[in-house]
Amino acid sequence: MTREEAVKIVMAMLEKNVEGLEMSEDKMGETLENLGVDSLDMMLVVMDAGEAAGVTISDDDAETLDTPDKIVDFIISQ
Amino acid sequence: MLGIQSIASYLPKGRVDNLKQADQFDTDREFVEQKIGVSTLPRFEEQDSVVSACASAFEKLCKKENVELAEVECVVLCTQNPDKGGLPHNSALIHGELGLPDDCACFDIGLGCSGYVYGLSVIQSFMAANGMKKGLLFTCDPYSRILNPDDKNTCLLFGDAASVTLISETPRYTLSSAKFSTKGSGSAALQKNEGLLEMNGRAVFNFALQDVPKQIKRVLESAELKAEDIDLFLLHQGSRFMLENTIKRASIPAEKAPIKLNETGNTVSSSIPLLLENEIDKSPETILMSGFGVGLSWATAIYTQVK
Repeated sequence: MTREEAVKIVMAMLEKNVEGLEMSEDKMGETLENLGVDSLDMMLVVMDAGEAAGVTISDDDAETLDTPDKIVDFIISQ
Repeated sequence: MLGIQSIASYLPKGRVDNLKQADQFDTDREFVEQKIGVSTLPRFEEQDSVVSACASAFEKLCKKENVELAEVECVVLCTQNPDKGGLPHNSALIHGELGLPDDCACFDIGLGCSGYVYGLSVIQSFMAANGMKKGLLFTCDPYSRILNPDDKNTCLLFGDAASVTLISETPRYTLSSAKFSTKGSGSAALQKNEGLLEMNGRAVFNFALQDVPKQIKRVLESAELKAEDIDLFLLHQGSRFMLENTIKRASIPAEKAPIKLNETGNTVSSSIPLLLENEIDKSPETILMSGFGVGLSWATAIYTQVK
């Protein structure tokens, strides 16, 4: 999967699951918390992004993915 | 054929204001109300016990049904937090408290949130195998006994309750089909450690959203039914956010799956019976129940109205 494709997935999953959040490339390095993503939404975003990208994200790995960019990096590293 | 004749429940009088708890844990009140979905938690007070709560549920059942004590041949209790550490088995204590006859089988089942769906199947099968006609399935799991007061993830979630279901030869609902599953490799997600409950919220969340919908779909398929054919979906009331997303992923019409944990919280094996008691008089023709949690264990069953 290319970085572009992964970015598209992560942005789409954030917008789908977090009410009122509009994503753009410049927000990819922000922490999810700063983007207004609460702890439950974070779990859903990571799960949905992993499923959409066809990768398995373990609980331990998921705990470290605290920015959209980190989710993207994880997806393309698989 | 044996099945569910009637049901009653009991909530202890003690209450915890969950929004005040949220303040104490420095947690956003809106998050607690909207995402966890719980404003008030029923809690055992000092005088409450599994036995007294079950006896109170039975007292409520007797206001709905004429239950002859001499006719009760079986008592099953589902709990993981029994009185006296579980010795003796609390179903025997309930037997004594209610003054049931000697010719009455009593045993406990140690399951969590899947316990009601399991328990119904177990008591009906046991009674059928032994020619019994009337039995009582109790649920009562006071998680308040094992909550870590410093752990907001569990303190904001769990409530105490009890229920009793009358199983008889004159049922209103009988079992059509069921499936039972376990993922022991994930058991650390919900466990007791040094007497206190530990929960890995993410692992439980992933389990509820990924495994439970699959089982619900498999049960529907094996019964040759579609979600539209089911009148009522009673899913274990873990938390609002988890439920909403489990419902979506199982392709269940949201209006058929009540979410009612605002005043009760997660009452473990009592959550489905609390819902069932609320809904049974609306006489849905088909009910799908799905319980999931500790184990990890999950169970789904379809019950059909007897006409």
